[in-house]
Amino acid sequence: MSLIQDVAGGGGHDPVPGPPPLPRKDKGGKGLSPGASFALRKTGAALGTLFFVLVVNFFLFRLLPGDPIGMYTRGRNVPAEQLAQLRAELDRPILEQFLTYLRNPFSSTIDSAQFNRPVWELVTERIWPTLLLVGTAIVLASIIGVWIGIKAGWKRGKSFDKVSTGVTLTLYSMPEFWLGMILLIVFGVGVLGLPGVFPIGGISTPGVDTSSLAGWLDVAWHMVLPVTTLTLVYLAEYALVMRSSLVDEMDEDYLTTARAKGLSDKFVRRRHAVPNALLPTITLIFLNLGFTVSGAITVETVFSWPGLGLLSYEALRGPDVALLQAIFLLFSIGVVLANLVADLLYAVIDPRVRS
Amino acid sequence: MKVRRRWHAWAAFTSAIAVLVALPLLPASAEESPSPATSAADKTVFTVGITQDVDSTNPFTGIAAASFEAYQMMYPTLTEYSAADFSTVPGLAESWEESADKTYWTYKIRPGLKWSDGEPLTARDAAYTFNRVINGDIEQTNYGGYTSTITKAVAEDDTTLVLYVKKPSPIMYQLAVYILPEHIWKDIDGKKVKSYKNEPENGEAVVGGGPYVLIERRKGEYLRFAANPNYYAGKPAADEVVFRVYKNTDAIAEALRKGEVDYANDLSANVFNSLEGAEGITTVPSVYSGFNQIAFNMGAALTDGTPIGDGSKIVLDPQVRLAVAQAIDRQVLADKVYGGFATPGSTVIPPLYTNLHLEPANPVGFDLDAANATLEAAGYTMGEDGVRVSPDGERMSLRLLGRQESSESQKVVEYVKDWLAQIGIEVNVKIVSEDTLYEKVGNGDFDMFEWGWVVEPDPDYQLSTFTCDQRSTEEDGTIYAGLSDSFYCDDEYDQLYEDQKLETDQAKRAEIVKQMQQKLYDSNAYVVTVYYDNPTAYRSDRWTNFTPQPEPDGVLLFQYGTWSYESIEPVTADNADTTSSSGGGVNPALIVVGVVIAAGLVLGGVMIGRRGRSEDDVE
Repeated sequence: MSLIQDVAGGGGHDPVPGPPPLPRKDKGGKGLSPGASFALRKTGAALGTLFFVLVVNFFLFRLLPGDPIGMYTRGRNVPAEQLAQLRAELDRPILEQFLTYLRNPFSSTIDSAQFNRPVWELVTERIWPTLLLVGTAIVLASIIGVWIGIKAGWKRGKSFDKVSTGVTLTLYSMPEFWLGMILLIVFGVGVLGLPGVFPIGGISTPGVDTSSLAGWLDVAWHMVLPVTTLTLVYLAEYALVMRSSLVDEMDEDYLTTARAKGLSDKFVRRRHAVPNALLPTITLIFLNLGFTVSGAITVETVFSWPGLGLLSYEALRGPDVALLQAIFLLFSIGVVLANLVADLLYAVIDPRVRS
Repeated sequence: MKVRRRWHAWAAFTSAIAVLVALPLLPASAEESPSPATSAADKTVFTVGITQDVDSTNPFTGIAAASFEAYQMMYPTLTEYSAADFSTVPGLAESWEESADKTYWTYKIRPGLKWSDGEPLTARDAAYTFNRVINGDIEQTNYGGYTSTITKAVAEDDTTLVLYVKKPSPIMYQLAVYILPEHIWKDIDGKKVKSYKNEPENGEAVVGGGPYVLIERRKGEYLRFAANPNYYAGKPAADEVVFRVYKNTDAIAEALRKGEVDYANDLSANVFNSLEGAEGITTVPSVYSGFNQIAFNMGAALTDGTPIGDGSKIVLDPQVRLAVAQAIDRQVLADKVYGGFATPGSTVIPPLYTNLHLEPANPVGFDLDAANATLEAAGYTMGEDGVRVSPDGERMSLRLLGRQESSESQKVVEYVKDWLAQIGIEVNVKIVSEDTLYEKVGNGDFDMFEWGWVVEPDPDYQLSTFTCDQRSTEEDGTIYAGLSDSFYCDDEYDQLYEDQKLETDQAKRAEIVKQMQQKLYDSNAYVVTVYYDNPTAYRSDRWTNFTPQPEPDGVLLFQYGTWSYESIEPVTADNADTTSSSGGGVNPALIVVGVVIAAGLVLGGVMIGRRGRSEDDVE
């Protein structure tokens, strides 16, 4: 269980269970409400992190050895003058390159050395499939996972708890690409004489107009296996965290008080226990949201999903510095933003954090 | 109230799962309606599985292998490589002739041709394309290697193209420059060309002149091509060709088994063997134009002769390289490492190029005793620890680099290490990424490494990798690798290279090319380990009449040309219905199974729900 607690604590929050603090007097020293100053502080920290990432991002990939242009043109009959021209950009003084980069890291003039096209163009055309896949999976996983966690935690030790904890622990320990491959073999390829009904890969069938209803169905159809894979793996995490934090709340005095007031068991759970127990789960959900863009690389590979996963892999070859730094910047922004949202939301849900 | 709510939740949960289980059954009909409907509506679609997406459909900017496959489908070239033996055959040009004074070439373009949009396709389009490359910038990247000797292109009339050359060159037989429609490309200037996508717009196909035109592209997913009715060799039989992207060959193999694709190549030996005998699928090993080698550092240096790197002096001795060549059992590598899908190697021009390949008269076979004797005679005496010592007193310990990206490479270097240990050479194997290997080799920081090349039908590029000019270069303190990775440098060889570059008599040129192979073979700059196959499988229950290149057992697609795309024919409808089990409607058995599972889940849910309720009641 320490693993689970690590995950819950991973966001840097320590939801101390205990009685709600006594109301305090507003300090009001700086003329800002504690909520606003908290928000400002967190936003500032996020911006700082982003800048740090920006700088590290630039220099880190330039430490990689290699002559990407030579590598990309090996086996192709490229004239020497053309090679020199292709190398010119990478050969500019590093500080000069850094300043250009800082001026606009999202500039459309930064080209991928490998594909000879603007990196952000490459990245944006791949980002939607990934968002669609991981976004759907996270929404499904958080709803189902939280629901299972509540069920299991509230009736700790009962058969539902035993079965669901067993199943979720198994799912939690499964590598997602492995689960994906199993699902692909069973439902995509077919076993024991049963034909597989789901597609082996891709996001749509060639020739189907994706803007039509048939097209939507077709995409949904292609999503079933990869989304199921990710959902199963993610929901296990949510269910386990939700369960353990609900169990932590179970013996609290305020629940006894609530029951003593004559409230129904269901009401006590819904209105008193669950809101308090939700905190670590929310952190986790948002942290995972941050990984949406980067998290599904292996599942994308298993299901030939045209997302960012393969692009990141291709960028490493060479290495394609400009493309690498664009992708990592995007990943970092995702994580930092999601963290910020989690922090702010946390403060809304739990007043203790603000003060 | 309480009971109702609980029931409600359980019902939601179980029905959600039931829907998930049943989902496969419902849309099976939904999906099947769009995809086979397109083929069922009298359209035949040939689907090729590819692992690397086409990176750009603009022939000036793409670099991926699949991109060039797309370009040759979309655009014609002046001449083509024959399917039978790679000899030059008519393409857009019916005939060609070098002028008597060897200063220009005249190509007679087929008369009365049209682009796919109905505009006339003439020698003017060809002249436009060549001039664009010659005077271009970005345009040079992909095609500059072919036009470096051409000074200008002139269309004397609609069917006569004249290309003026600086010096005679055999490349003029095979100019792999895709002829583009001037009426489209004249609007895309040198600045716009880099970002020009050349993709279908508003449902309009990209105007082309090859056997197929591009009608749809979805990045990372697929490309769709439609047969071009205006193609000079006639409209191909397959109405559409689709390139569908998968992320690995295992997935393509499964898609082939299932019928999602009709063609898969580059299969691993295991996957290939598992597909053998599968219903409706035919497997062919396909001889290929690639070889792998163990290369030596023959004195790493810059083009001006300045030595670089830290290569061992030991491998500079030709007798040591000969001994290594004698100690490598190529047959074992082909059988054990490549699963039989390879043949033992000899020279750097693979034997499928029958007109150019040299089968050495003095083949070096696997013979450990001979290898030991070679070293003994050259003065390398066996040390106490089983490692020989050179006449200079240096221990025979060598570094050998293998490639992370290739499991075959990693096995080969281990085999070589074992064999060399038996002749008293200690080998330190290191596995590195191809990026790192490229870097290390360019800097001369190696003794031996394993890698390979894919050889084009024109031998010039491959032969150039052994010229002195292709050694590394230095600029502002940074060393850039040239094409040479053995640093072989021989004046006589360089002279032969220049000679073949100017020889426009193809038979005479082949003689020179063979002499060059002999020189390389004798030097053992490379020990060519194997020529590897391209294991391929296709749906023979749907498609027939592929054209191998070369005959009779060459590759079926990804050729130098579009032979198979033009020749394949769908197997007749009656046939396909009886043999193809996949891609059809919903299997009734499956519906039954699905319903049973769903019912079981619902029932189980109810049961657990009930139990839960009774526990509640107890509480």
